[in-house]
Amino acid sequence: MFKHLFKMIWNKKKQNSLLIVEILLSFLVIFAVFTFGLNSYNNYAKPMGIDYQNVWAISYNNTLKTNNGDSLKLFYDNMVDNIKAMPKVIDAAHTSANIPFSTSHMSTGLTHNGDHIQDVNSFMVDENYPKTLNVKLLDGRWYNKTDVGSKQKVIVINNKLKERMFGKASAIGKLYNDDDGKKGVKIIGVLDDIKFNGDYQSLEYAIYNRIDTSSYRWLGKILVKVSPDANAAFESQLYKFMANNLKDSNIEIEHLTNKLTAYNKFTLVPLIILSIVAAFLIINVALGIFGVLWYNINKRRGEIGLRRAVGAPGSSVSAQLVSEAMILATLSLIVGAFFAVQFPLLNVFDLPASVYLLAMLLAVIFIYLLVLVCSLYPGKQASAILPAVALHEE
Amino acid sequence: MLKNYFKIAIAVLKRRKFFTFLSLFGISFTIIILMVMTAFIDKVVNDTYPDKKRDRSLYINKMELRGKESMNGGAPSYYFLKHYVGSMKTPVKFAISSGFNSTNTYVNNRKIVINYKYTNADYWEVLDYKFSEGKPLTKQQIDNAEKVAVITEDMKKEYFGDSGTVLGKYIEADNVKYRICGVVKTLPITSYLFYADVYLPITVTKTNLMSDKGYMGNFTAIVLAANTGDVPKMKKEFDGIMAKVPIPGKEWDHVYSHADSYIQGYLRTGNETNSGMLYAITAVTLFALFVMLLPTLNLVNVNITRIMERSSEIGVRKAFGASSFTLVYQFIVENLILTFLGGLIGIVLSLVAMYVINSANLIANLNLELNFTVLFYTVITCIVFGLLSGVYPAWRMSKLNVVTALKAQ
Repeated sequence: MFKHLFKMIWNKKKQNSLLIVEILLSFLVIFAVFTFGLNSYNNYAKPMGIDYQNVWAISYNNTLKTNNGDSLKLFYDNMVDNIKAMPKVIDAAHTSANIPFSTSHMSTGLTHNGDHIQDVNSFMVDENYPKTLNVKLLDGRWYNKTDVGSKQKVIVINNKLKERMFGKASAIGKLYNDDDGKKGVKIIGVLDDIKFNGDYQSLEYAIYNRIDTSSYRWLGKILVKVSPDANAAFESQLYKFMANNLKDSNIEIEHLTNKLTAYNKFTLVPLIILSIVAAFLIINVALGIFGVLWYNINKRRGEIGLRRAVGAPGSSVSAQLVSEAMILATLSLIVGAFFAVQFPLLNVFDLPASVYLLAMLLAVIFIYLLVLVCSLYPGKQASAILPAVALHEE
Repeated sequence: MLKNYFKIAIAVLKRRKFFTFLSLFGISFTIIILMVMTAFIDKVVNDTYPDKKRDRSLYINKMELRGKESMNGGAPSYYFLKHYVGSMKTPVKFAISSGFNSTNTYVNNRKIVINYKYTNADYWEVLDYKFSEGKPLTKQQIDNAEKVAVITEDMKKEYFGDSGTVLGKYIEADNVKYRICGVVKTLPITSYLFYADVYLPITVTKTNLMSDKGYMGNFTAIVLAANTGDVPKMKKEFDGIMAKVPIPGKEWDHVYSHADSYIQGYLRTGNETNSGMLYAITAVTLFALFVMLLPTLNLVNVNITRIMERSSEIGVRKAFGASSFTLVYQFIVENLILTFLGGLIGIVLSLVAMYVINSANLIANLNLELNFTVLFYTVITCIVFGLLSGVYPAWRMSKLNVVTALKAQ
């Protein structure tokens, strides 16, 4: 049976080869869209890790004349204490410019047991950071007063980095070397993962450094957790407070919710455009396949009439045509899968292999459904051919 | 002859309505996507508001320091521009502006985000902003560090509502009140070199600009030549200056900056090893190919099907002595007619698409429009499309054996 179908396809190889290429390209397009979509969905399904509602970010620039770290620390700690004392403020924390959902990134690298890990996001944060963002500490402890002035450099890492470095084992008390030449940095805590690049981006490695006195000169953000009833009137009060404290500075207050919406657009807009374009391409291809199959059946009336005349039932005729189309699809899918499987094998875009494989599976199902739907109607039409009429034409 | 082909083409189109619809759908859809893309690129790259004198201008907006292990890329500092670019002899005007910064202001318990930009006096002479009210900042105002501002129409609406003139009124930004002396048409954020809501004199900045002697900062310069002929000379002079600029520290061994044409400057990434131009061209080409490839294949498929239907006609023409060339020519002309028909539908539909995109306000103040450049590219696309999808079926047809073609019936 199959041998016979292959023969039929081989006899019309020129026309079929074009169809195969078309189905192959559609498969690749669908594969790309599904990979992108699935990956975004997988990331979306993971928890954000923080409570970003009612968190505001104040941007300022240090305009104080002094370079003395201690007096800067005194000034800025005092400022944060004053902010915390305001009526609608729940908590406040100093951080470096790479707050959640900002386009600012700082990255570094580290070495542990000969394993060099690159692209580790490096944050400068203070003692209030976890409380302000309501992020869970999974293991160990957060920074406290005892870390001030200690000789041993200590660090808090995030869960993803911990799993890369230690797997299931505990990370507390372990040491690593960082890329700036510091040897024996001691891990004291593991913080839950935060999706600081928005809903749809993957988790990244992160380390949280404690702010030291020398860094106050270039820090520029304060995160403020406010109560839900904090409105624009309160915001303007906060703004005035900042402007009066830092006379020559540029002040801006942003809401993390707005920043998240803006950041998500970076992922969503390309995905939506890609999906629309792909949808149109697929409609195009579907109509094309439908048209060509339909035409083929009209051309093969004689053959079909003959089969009916020698006793083949209508269902077997339509089954033949549908399975011919499915074999064509299979041929293109084999070639397509060969290309698609290179992505997880060569690890092209650094996505988990499961995403590629699932996307491949979905794309295969999608293409089979598409071809099936496109060939059903022509197949049904073929089964309706009356042998007497068809053979009479010959 | 052509008239005949035209008649035949129309007759063929009428014969199989489904296939006609299929071909037209594929073509017009491709045209829509490519047209919207061209319109967008054209708007972003070729829109000469507010820099009408683009052909005489060079833009200096990126600075790069490179050492063995590290690199630092970004915008140049005010000091660098003033000290080195300011010493150039060829330019007649020398505009400096800061990148835009954001701040908030609170009006009647409403929060407004203000993007502001500092400008010097030449900025207003190099660029031709459209003023709906008032005048640009003058040299005297800037020299005297007066607290004056030019705002955009959008900012006027947001800050003052739909009131009449706002000249002489005050706008508050960063806790300072500025007197409004002009209102200009708003720009989309894609013109990031000129975009802002509020334009302020460079002399009212809160920091001392010349005190920071570093090269990296947040400023852009536009140098204007007396005429277009002087532009290459100006570029050369700038490159000469760059060759002599001292390296700012021992961790660096190269310092790069360029006086670019608008597009080069627009796409420059601030990293010598990554050409923004190359990225942009590759991305656009790949996208266009990707969008065109499948419909073309589809069209080839449909065309072959249709052409084989006409095998008897072809057989007869061949039997009476028509050369393969004539037949190929005829078929390609027919196919071009088809693509142009699809193109026409595509143009109409893309007008609708652009209208939808504009009213959805995806990027504020960016209004896609149909102009001659876009139309020109559409016609080119149609021709390429028609040829691509016509040549292979026509070639297959011309190979048809007369006897088999005639016998088929």
